[in-house]
Amino acid sequence: MEDERELAIHPVVQTSVQHNTQAVSNIRNLTASLFGVAAGTLGLESYPGFIFYLVGTLIVSLLLFVFRAEGKPSAYFHRPLGDLWGGEVFGGLSGFVLTWTLFYGLVRA
Amino acid sequence: MSFGGTVLNTVGVVFLTHAVYSTHEHTTTTPNTPLPLDITLELLFSILILTTGIVFTSPALKPIQWSKWAGQISQEGQHGEGKWTQEGEEILSEGDPFAFLGLDAGLGGKTEGRKGFWDVRGKRKEYAAWVKEGGK
Repeated sequence: MEDERELAIHPVVQTSVQHNTQAVSNIRNLTASLFGVAAGTLGLESYPGFIFYLVGTLIVSLLLFVFRAEGKPSAYFHRPLGDLWGGEVFGGLSGFVLTWTLFYGLVRA
Repeated sequence: MSFGGTVLNTVGVVFLTHAVYSTHEHTTTTPNTPLPLDITLELLFSILILTTGIVFTSPALKPIQWSKWAGQISQEGQHGEGKWTQEGEEILSEGDPFAFLGLDAGLGGKTEGRKGFWDVRGKRKEYAAWVKEGGK
């Protein structure tokens, strides 16, 4: 109820929310494939590979926070913690594993 | 911002290609030896540069609060975003969704327009002055 009243006083622009989610999702997918290339070329296996991915996404989140959201994530995301820092992290995981295994097989095996 | 991003992307792709090729050469010529530090550093460096480039070339985020979004639109106005349709028409950015109401002196400020609110107090003052003058 409180949230509903807050939204009535400060309305949210739905097209902007969609645009921002789309932008973050695009960046996540592209960078996840890149991290896969790096992890496969470095020859990471098992948990270190996934830790590498998580560290990489954290760096991407930082870059987004500084350069795209200009330090004010609440102006661009409804829930900054879920949409900016954790947004689409697991959506890019499949792309990461794809290029990770591909480049491990191409370069290392 | 976007031009710098393209430069970063190009440099990153060159470094990444070189690093991956070097790794391939290293593993085929001397298998079962650890990867030299310079290749690892080059790889991580290229990934960092490419990531920064991707973030820079991504479209700018739009404010989600209605007030800030509408304020940005009215400040910047409709402008081209460097994209064209197949027919050659330029795709414009979002405009004021209530422009058809004509509150800001009509479309493009060229027509008469329509007032959102009638200035009651001003009209009352005018009427009082008119009565004081004797109603002529």
